[in-house]
Amino acid sequence: MSFEVLGGNLLGTIPFGDIVLYLTPFNLFMFVVLLIFTFLIAVSKTETQVEASLVKLENTNKNVGKKEFHQRRFLAVICGIASAGAMITGDLFDFTLFMALVGILNIGIVSAVRQVSVLNSAFHYGLIAMMCSLPLFGGAAIILAATGTLSLDILSTMHTTPMIIFGALLMLIGVIGESGVAPFFATKAEMFRTPGSPFIIIIHLSSLFIIIRAVEIFLLVLM
Amino acid sequence: MYLMADILINVIIAFLAGSLLLGLHRKIMARVQLRPGPPVIQYLLHSLKFFFKESSFPKTASMPFYVSIIFILAVVWIVGVIVGPVTENSLLIIFAVYAIYKIVEHNAGSSSGSPYGKMSCVRAVLSAATELPLFAAIALIYFKTGTLNISGILMYQSIHGPLISSIPLAAVMLFTLLLTKSPYSPFAITKGKDLVTGFETEHFGFLRGFLMMSESIAWYVMLWLFLVLFFGPISIIWLVIGMVLISVITGFINATTPMLNPNHSVMTQITICFVCFVGTIVMIFI
Repeated sequence: MSFEVLGGNLLGTIPFGDIVLYLTPFNLFMFVVLLIFTFLIAVSKTETQVEASLVKLENTNKNVGKKEFHQRRFLAVICGIASAGAMITGDLFDFTLFMALVGILNIGIVSAVRQVSVLNSAFHYGLIAMMCSLPLFGGAAIILAATGTLSLDILSTMHTTPMIIFGALLMLIGVIGESGVAPFFATKAEMFRTPGSPFIIIIHLSSLFIIIRAVEIFLLVLM
Repeated sequence: MYLMADILINVIIAFLAGSLLLGLHRKIMARVQLRPGPPVIQYLLHSLKFFFKESSFPKTASMPFYVSIIFILAVVWIVGVIVGPVTENSLLIIFAVYAIYKIVEHNAGSSSGSPYGKMSCVRAVLSAATELPLFAAIALIYFKTGTLNISGILMYQSIHGPLISSIPLAAVMLFTLLLTKSPYSPFAITKGKDLVTGFETEHFGFLRGFLMMSESIAWYVMLWLFLVLFFGPISIIWLVIGMVLISVITGFINATTPMLNPNHSVMTQITICFVCFVGTIVMIFI
């Protein structure tokens, strides 16, 4: 399966040995969008979350403390850069590394929050992410063992074998668990109750975009 | 130069046609519920009116995210017009555009600091299930046609006939997405009336104008995509008839169906997606 069929006209390639980074309108669009969001995260203040107080007739304001703000902003920016990298990489192993990094950073972004329900949710998501790192890297390793390469450029020209399909299925399980999409999103939704809107958006954005990129990669490898 | 003019004309058409179709949708809903309803042109007039209204920003808002996220939404759907009607490029980009729409729902809600927006934000995470019908439909179209370029899919249909006849269940899935996207939908959990207007609650003045403009363009792009993907290269007249017909059908469904609670909404969408996906796979390979 060629890149053009999936992502539109090939705009250019950047070869590093057998690993070839390629740019199609699809990859470029996702890459640029992630960089724009990362920039906005870096320059934005956090909101003041207003909640009704129990028993009393007044509101409770929830803010993000200064120390927590710096920590979460740093992790969110790194998460944005890692997600952007996953959008243009031409190497299967790089993709799995970016994916694992995004999973860790997603937990890190909410780990400084002092809300029990949020931390519980992050803990459960962390367990799933840890368990799914095995099929994620295992799948990539099986594809490497079966084909001798991790370059998407070369993999896209190879015939599909049962071992490649098996490796891709393992990777799919890994990506789904690491990004916490359906059916695992229920554990993740609670994480979004915390204040810090610019930071928690990257958790959602990185997961959705990595899933879309994973679709392209699986079609490249399997078809 | 020609491309720029093409983009500009298509964006204006998308805005005007989308606004009128949403106005028609609202009128149909009103008539079904035995109300007179506003004129069809009302949605367009509202959108334009908000650009000239006084704008105010909550002091609790996350700046500049609160403002910029709305511009991102407008730009993203303009990209949708460029990728769809103008250049007929990759379906994966449309998928990404829809994903960003979900992100905007999420962040526009949470960045204001309002509890209604925040609840809409959490529901936006749950309603990521609406992506499943789109993803599954795209995958099935790919299995059938061997390409994800809209121009390639159109060429396939001009040779083999419209996809609606060969993979009708994939069309049902994409129609579910259209239904989800339509105003007052049973699946529109992020804009439930228990949340006032959900993620839009704290956006006033020109920001609401941009939101409404983006919604109009989005509706037009989604309808165009559905008709082109399943009915192939059709004339402008049939395109208009198709868009009006879908707006009327969704209006009728929304007028007679109550809004589902978040869990039921997600499970219904996943069930429709699963049944249609398996059904289509069986139809393709058996």
